[in-house]
Amino acid sequence: MELDSVPQPALEQMERVAGADLVVGILRPGNNGVQAGAAAMVREAVEGFPHPTRAVLVVDDGGGGAKVEEDQSLPVVRYKLVDGNSPVSPEGVYGACETVFGIGRKIGVRACTVIASDLQTVTSAWIDRLARPALEMEFDLVAPRYARHKWEGLINRSILSPLIRALYGKRIQNPVGPDIGISGRLMKALLEEQAGPRTAGAASPVASVISTAARANFQICEAEVGARQQPPADWMNLSTLIAQILKPAFLDMERCAAVWQRVRGSQAVPAFGAVEPAPEESGPVDAGRLIDSFQLGVKNLQDVWGLVLPPTVLLEIRKLARLPAASFRMADDVWVSIVYDFALAHRIRTINREHLLRSFTPLYLGWIASYALEMAAAGPLEVEARLEGLARAYEAGKPYLLSRWRWPDRFNP
Amino acid sequence: MWEQVQQALSQSTTRVVSQVASLLPGTVALLLALLISVVVALVVGGVLRRSLNGINFDERVMRWGFPSLAEWSPGKSPTRLAALVVAWIVIFIGFAIGVSAFDLTLTSALVVRFFEYLPHVLAAIVVLLVGHAIARFMARSVLIDAVNMNLQYARLLATGVRWMVMVLAVTMALEHLAIGGGIIRLAFGILFGGIVLALALAVGLGSKELVSRSLEREAHRVAEETEEPVRHL
Repeated sequence: MELDSVPQPALEQMERVAGADLVVGILRPGNNGVQAGAAAMVREAVEGFPHPTRAVLVVDDGGGGAKVEEDQSLPVVRYKLVDGNSPVSPEGVYGACETVFGIGRKIGVRACTVIASDLQTVTSAWIDRLARPALEMEFDLVAPRYARHKWEGLINRSILSPLIRALYGKRIQNPVGPDIGISGRLMKALLEEQAGPRTAGAASPVASVISTAARANFQICEAEVGARQQPPADWMNLSTLIAQILKPAFLDMERCAAVWQRVRGSQAVPAFGAVEPAPEESGPVDAGRLIDSFQLGVKNLQDVWGLVLPPTVLLEIRKLARLPAASFRMADDVWVSIVYDFALAHRIRTINREHLLRSFTPLYLGWIASYALEMAAAGPLEVEARLEGLARAYEAGKPYLLSRWRWPDRFNP
Repeated sequence: MWEQVQQALSQSTTRVVSQVASLLPGTVALLLALLISVVVALVVGGVLRRSLNGINFDERVMRWGFPSLAEWSPGKSPTRLAALVVAWIVIFIGFAIGVSAFDLTLTSALVVRFFEYLPHVLAAIVVLLVGHAIARFMARSVLIDAVNMNLQYARLLATGVRWMVMVLAVTMALEHLAIGGGIIRLAFGILFGGIVLALALAVGLGSKELVSRSLEREAHRVAEETEEPVRHL
């Protein structure tokens, strides 16, 4: 992001802190618009580093002045991070991260950490674990590992994490954050790619962080940060959420096709920090309602899906819609084919992209229903084994993706 | 007497022959124009077909959301249909030019009126095509969003939207063709007003209970959803 139209006060603030080592961006306003304890948290994290580190805190100034306890040891830059969208939405987080990266580059820092989660559960340890590998250990990307129960992070578990693993060969729990730590080198590479003529206006730098890191052989690691507070799922706007997540992911696939087509297999990345216990889930998932939504989609959206999915997958979906709830299971290879075929349809613009991404919602609900029924009584180890199986199915399906990506007009089974 | 009859017959024959002879140059011109237009039509049709095949036009038509076009195209190929339509347009234009060569006041007037009317026909075709595309786009948007909102009558809503847009497009096309005039406007107003009034009455009176039950169910569902343990991110 080019900070072309930086307001004078913010510009003065940035010039004042030139030469800092670390930028910490806090995106969420916290309670009553106050970043309560944000500065203290950053200060505590920085004091724990083995080497003296000059940090800068960047907070959202959208409301006309964030209330942050500021002193000489921790300069604060106030900047409009959230542009109209709620910072909770992926689009809002992506935009805000881009702005923080831009500020970090302008200041010339060695590392940048963005905290997008609700401040209620964030501690100084989060900042320490996300920043330290980039500052002290030559890592370029520090992705978060959350302690989560089996119903949390379902888009990550079902799509993003296994897709990124199959594409770029990196096993990462949360490939697009939202809390993230990156080195100055990676930040520079991301922003330069974003500003390049070929990719201008394409995927967000956060969505393309793994592909950029994989392309230039940047070092990637994960940091255990514990549980995080999340708002309840907004089912009425789920299709918007899915579109906001899948669109940058598919755009990035298009942009980096030359990179992921060469990758085979996958490796785990180093992880730092102690694993914390997952929070208790608040209750069972109502799979019946999810199956109803899936069946409604099958009843009404077959014309749309028929343009995107191969006949064999459509047949499997139709069969699935007729099954009783007790035996409702979506096979991994069917789900993988659905995700890959939607990515292909997005690439070749089989139908309007917005329609395509929104029509994905009932299929995703079908997957959740199947997963919820299968994992209702499962423990953490069984859940991990189940997701490992899914990730392997993504890897096994990659030759199909490759062949259809290269020759989309060839016979579609 | 016989001589007078003979003379009259001879004069009539001469008149007929001279009339026929006067038509001959026009007929030759018409045939020539037709011949040239057929040759041009074949060339233009051939070039168009090759170009459209080159860009996979048949497949693109399917992707743009006109699968029904292939069904009633010759050989189920929209490319062939487009080439045929263009070829026949060229032949028709050649025929019209040939007819004007007769230099008869009536045919000339007809041709002039035809060419004056042609832009209206083209505009009506464009309006219909654009209307069809918008109708399909809007119907698909409504269908997907309604399904995502768990509305059981999603398809009905989408069909309703498609027909509303198509009725509007057909009305605009007929207006361009100057067919029906005020009757079309009146019918359109009555039809649209009728639909809106019917919906208002259905919701306000007939389906009051149904709508309130549906809204209550939705409100209850939203309240239930907040307690669900699922987190997508």
